[in-house]
Amino acid sequence: MELFSYSLRKLATGIPLIIGVTLVSFLLMVYFGPDKTFELVGKNPTQEQIDEIRAQLGYDQPMVVRYLDYLREIVTLDFGNSESTGERINALLARTIPVSIAVALPGFILGNLLGVGLGLLAAFYRGRWPDKMIMGSAAIGMSISFLIVIIAFQIILSSSYGLNLFPVRGWSVDSFGDYVSYVTVPTLATVFVALGYNTRFYRSVIVEETTRDHVRTARAFGVPSLQLYCKLILKNCLIPIITRIMFSIPFVVISGSLLIESYFGIPGIGKVTYDAIITGDQPILKAVVALTAIMLVVVQLLTDIMYRWVDPRVSLK
Amino acid sequence: MRLLLLLLVSLLAACGNEQGEDSDTAGLRVYHHSSDGAPTSLDPVQAATLYANLIVVNAYDTLYSYKYLERPYALKPNLAAAMPEVSGDGLTYTIKLKRGVHFIDDPAFDGGKGREVTTADVVYSILRHFDPETRPQGAWLWQGRVAGLEEWKAAGPDYDRLPDGLEIVDDYTLRIHLLQPYPQLLYTLAMGYSGVVPREAVEAYGREFGLRPVGSGPFRVVRYDTEKLIFEPNLNWRWEPVDLAAEGFDPATQGFTGIEVLDGQRPPFVDRFEISFIKESAARWNSFTKGNEIQYAGVPVELVDRVLASKDPVSLAPEYEALYQVRSDIEAGFVYSAFNMDMEFGTDPDPQQNERNRALRCAMIKGFDWERRNDSFYVNLGKVFPGVIPPVVPEYDPDASVDSVTRDVAGARQLLAANGWTPETLPTMVYGTVGSVRSRQFYEQFRAWMMEIGFPREKIVLREFATFGDLNKRWRESQLPLISAGWGLDYPDAENTLQLFYGPNKAPGSNSSNYNNPEYDALFEQAAVMLPSPERTKIYRRMNQMVIDDCVAITGLSRTRISVWHREVLMYPDTSIVGGFFFPFVALQDEKGLRLAPEPTPEVN
Repeated sequence: MELFSYSLRKLATGIPLIIGVTLVSFLLMVYFGPDKTFELVGKNPTQEQIDEIRAQLGYDQPMVVRYLDYLREIVTLDFGNSESTGERINALLARTIPVSIAVALPGFILGNLLGVGLGLLAAFYRGRWPDKMIMGSAAIGMSISFLIVIIAFQIILSSSYGLNLFPVRGWSVDSFGDYVSYVTVPTLATVFVALGYNTRFYRSVIVEETTRDHVRTARAFGVPSLQLYCKLILKNCLIPIITRIMFSIPFVVISGSLLIESYFGIPGIGKVTYDAIITGDQPILKAVVALTAIMLVVVQLLTDIMYRWVDPRVSLK
Repeated sequence: MRLLLLLLVSLLAACGNEQGEDSDTAGLRVYHHSSDGAPTSLDPVQAATLYANLIVVNAYDTLYSYKYLERPYALKPNLAAAMPEVSGDGLTYTIKLKRGVHFIDDPAFDGGKGREVTTADVVYSILRHFDPETRPQGAWLWQGRVAGLEEWKAAGPDYDRLPDGLEIVDDYTLRIHLLQPYPQLLYTLAMGYSGVVPREAVEAYGREFGLRPVGSGPFRVVRYDTEKLIFEPNLNWRWEPVDLAAEGFDPATQGFTGIEVLDGQRPPFVDRFEISFIKESAARWNSFTKGNEIQYAGVPVELVDRVLASKDPVSLAPEYEALYQVRSDIEAGFVYSAFNMDMEFGTDPDPQQNERNRALRCAMIKGFDWERRNDSFYVNLGKVFPGVIPPVVPEYDPDASVDSVTRDVAGARQLLAANGWTPETLPTMVYGTVGSVRSRQFYEQFRAWMMEIGFPREKIVLREFATFGDLNKRWRESQLPLISAGWGLDYPDAENTLQLFYGPNKAPGSNSSNYNNPEYDALFEQAAVMLPSPERTKIYRRMNQMVIDDCVAITGLSRTRISVWHREVLMYPDTSIVGGFFFPFVALQDEKGLRLAPEPTPEVN
């Protein structure tokens, strides 16, 4: 009951957040985003045709009316049709989000698991050569542009100039074998870059934990190192780890990865969102912004519940 | 862990192919095409772009199409049974349709079976361009030309009421009544805009019609998203044996493709036609050279020197020649920069100031270095020409003076000085462009040339826009002094480029330069009703000279496109708006020769 009422309260307090995020985003779209009218007019339009399109896009409506329409769309979860292709937004999201998740999930999981593992290792050998090597590699991973990493992996693993092991691009998944074939190179590229950031973050969290009194006491009691790091230290680090992972989820689910999807020809939400930004396809942008905000609120709630799960001292009030 | 596996399995199920369209292709003859951009809609009324037009003319029937191989481009009947009967005054076109042509099967039809295409469908498809609800982009082709279309629109679109200009004589006969002769009419009926759509499907799918083409063309779309489009042959289409002579085959220039073996054979020669939309040139090239992915690509500019053994004539380096075919062709269009004549350096009521302004524009044209532009950005393969009649149209004059495209810095400086232009009095030129590295390079080069003729550095200003839509808005609203643009020909007639400077087309129309010369306009109107003839060509060339003499634009260059394709593919590709009709002729061969399918057995509708 405590959990239920807490959840309701938490969700209710998320409403202002959703309104704030959507309002700011909407204003940015309207005042600074591209004018879709001039993407839709042909080569030789008349002023009358331009005005007709503006009216159809709703650009002739007062701002308040347009924002209230947006709120109605959020409440009904009906964002209309894309202004570019005419596709129903809900159908578009249902088609593209699973693809983006399927592409991003292995890299997300591996990037975090390996990050934690390497963070533990670096913390364990703090100041010694394994630590320096891991952190040096992390710095390299962080320093190289994601685009370069993608192209390099594509050439090395997929092209005829390299090992030619995987498809250069595409997404024709009918079996698990197909899936592995198409997702391996994007995953490796994602892990390569993510690992740098993750390892640095997790190492610093773990190192901080190793300086605590209870760790010193455990060491004094002669607790073996493996047990000390994997059971005591890691468990106590779970709160920042959970926070980092959980708050990444909305972006993995909704935003996708533009570069990965563009270079590997994957029809996911990242590419669709990017195209919507540069062409001013507001229905898609409104849906993506609203869903990301809603998911952030839900993730906040789940994160709080998980805090409680890993640390019983946390109370849900 | 179990939860994760479950999630993964669910995701795979969710992102599998709904229609199984990508499932096992073993044994199928699959051609893998690529395009450097994707269409946003496959609705013919929105087929303004090259990418959309290419798909639309292959999914839908148009009354006329271009012959596969003939150059200069020539029309042939497509859905029409023959070339039209034209009245003596050129105002009435009677067009007979082929009988027994059916739309593809689709749930929008009664019983899901595609019905026969009739004259009413052709009329409906044209009228949609005058219905604002469809967000049409092609109305300019027929408005003011076909009788009654404006009135039809003004009265509120009602598809059951026909305008005077579109007469349904019977199910297979269309009569078009024009307000004045319109020699380009047949060209417009070969454009994607005129693709014939069934009303049932438009009404059934509403806004999503652009995603679900229901046509009667040679192919049906089985998958379409941001990354790929898959065509399968429409087996009910009129697949006639290939007649290379009738298609304009020239063994001397096209024999290298090996397409002679197709002569007399009945297409379709492929079971599936996959088009990958790949904007990134590195990814496209990697996929092309991989061997088992895309089979057609353009050569990335940065690789031209490595891939080509020679540029004139274009040939591949030995390691590529063994694997690929290559073709270079001048684009059906051109790039240019026009001055906005409504700005302070444009037309002026004071004759003296008007002349000073003209001198300024002429000096800037003299300062522009087309040869260097060609060398820097088009690997010296572009064709520089004077004026606005590009080499690909029959009215092009190969003997025209090239003075207007020859750099003359001393002449430019002298012209500025003689007309009292000093660094202080020269106007600020805002160079508007879509933000990109290439655009900035164009700008830097332009600024350097203008500085050489006397412009202060700070008077050539870059203004970048995030999207083409934003830049287009400024052009349409006449806010930019320079309009640097590319124009793709809609049809192979110089009228299509000369209209860029026709006064009544001024912004927001296609005449972004707002050039307004009554003499030019009068000649344009005179030529607009003339059939192709030496007299008309003479008028076109006179108008071209006016654009040059009035220094309205820094023009022009037609880019050369180099396309390469795997040797097992037999085709003569041309992806321009006027050349998109080659898809039905694409064939594949293996070591045993041409891969033919068993005789198709069309379904009976």
